Amino acid sequence: MTNAVNAIDDELWSAVGDPMRRRMLDLLLSHGGGTATTLSDQLPVTRQAVAKHLAVLDRVGLVHVTPSGRERLYEVDEAQLARAVAQLSAVGATWDARLQRIKRIAEAIQRGQER
Amino acid sequence: MLNSDTEYGSIEREIHIDATPDVVYEVISTPEHLREWWPKDAQLTAKPGATGVIWFSDGKTADLHPVGLTVVEADPPRRFSFRWVYDEGATASPDNSLLVTFDLIPSGAAGTLLRFSETGYRERGWEVAVLEETYRNNVNGWDYFLPRLVTYVARLASTR
Repeated sequence: MTNAVNAIDDELWSAVGDPMRRRMLDLLLSHGGGTATTLSDQLPVTRQAVAKHLAVLDRVGLVHVTPSGRERLYEVDEAQLARAVAQLSAVGATWDARLQRIKRIAEAIQRGQER
Repeated sequence: MLNSDTEYGSIEREIHIDATPDVVYEVISTPEHLREWWPKDAQLTAKPGATGVIWFSDGKTADLHPVGLTVVEADPPRRFSFRWVYDEGATASPDNSLLVTFDLIPSGAAGTLLRFSETGYRERGWEVAVLEETYRNNVNGWDYFLPRLVTYVARLASTR
């Protein structure tokens, strides 16, 4: 494992790691974008709280912002989201490795018992 | 884009093992075997409600980092499940932890289908998923890559 990669990804991870931000990403994806106002209408948090979360997502490049009238329109950056998703796949891969070890150990014990 | 693992906030796997459910159950639930496939050390009684500790190395110093876990179900040789990554001092619940479940299904004369799942990423947040990574970001390369290589080769073989 290289620490440099970890350091870069840490920020992305904590940005996407928050359940509320995940819900916001889901909403942005399903509606093809949204504003702090439209998001706060669909979530149990204030517009100010939503704006704060959006700023975090923006900082790590998970959303793009374009002005839209008096509001700012947020859209998901799918390439960056794919990177975050790949990280979760990596977590799955560490479980794959553990399961392979469980298999090897159990099969060795079984062979020992049959001998 | 948000499919499979991420969509459901869980990881699910199945693996066939040429060993009886009794043997597999012992491997997944006893400290002496846990040490062989996961943490550096483990202290655990496979009883529902029992709390245990697993220790991870940071790979740099001799220090071991304890992580608590709470056994949810212990039904040999069918199911073993536990919650982990909840905050220290907290009581494990669906809102503050990840749930790991192993289901063992007899398969053939002396085989087991192991169904694994880890759920709770949505509720707990994904950050915790890298908890262990942070403890071992300098892990010994072979320790990390060899098992992956095995998985990789197995996958290659299965696609042929």
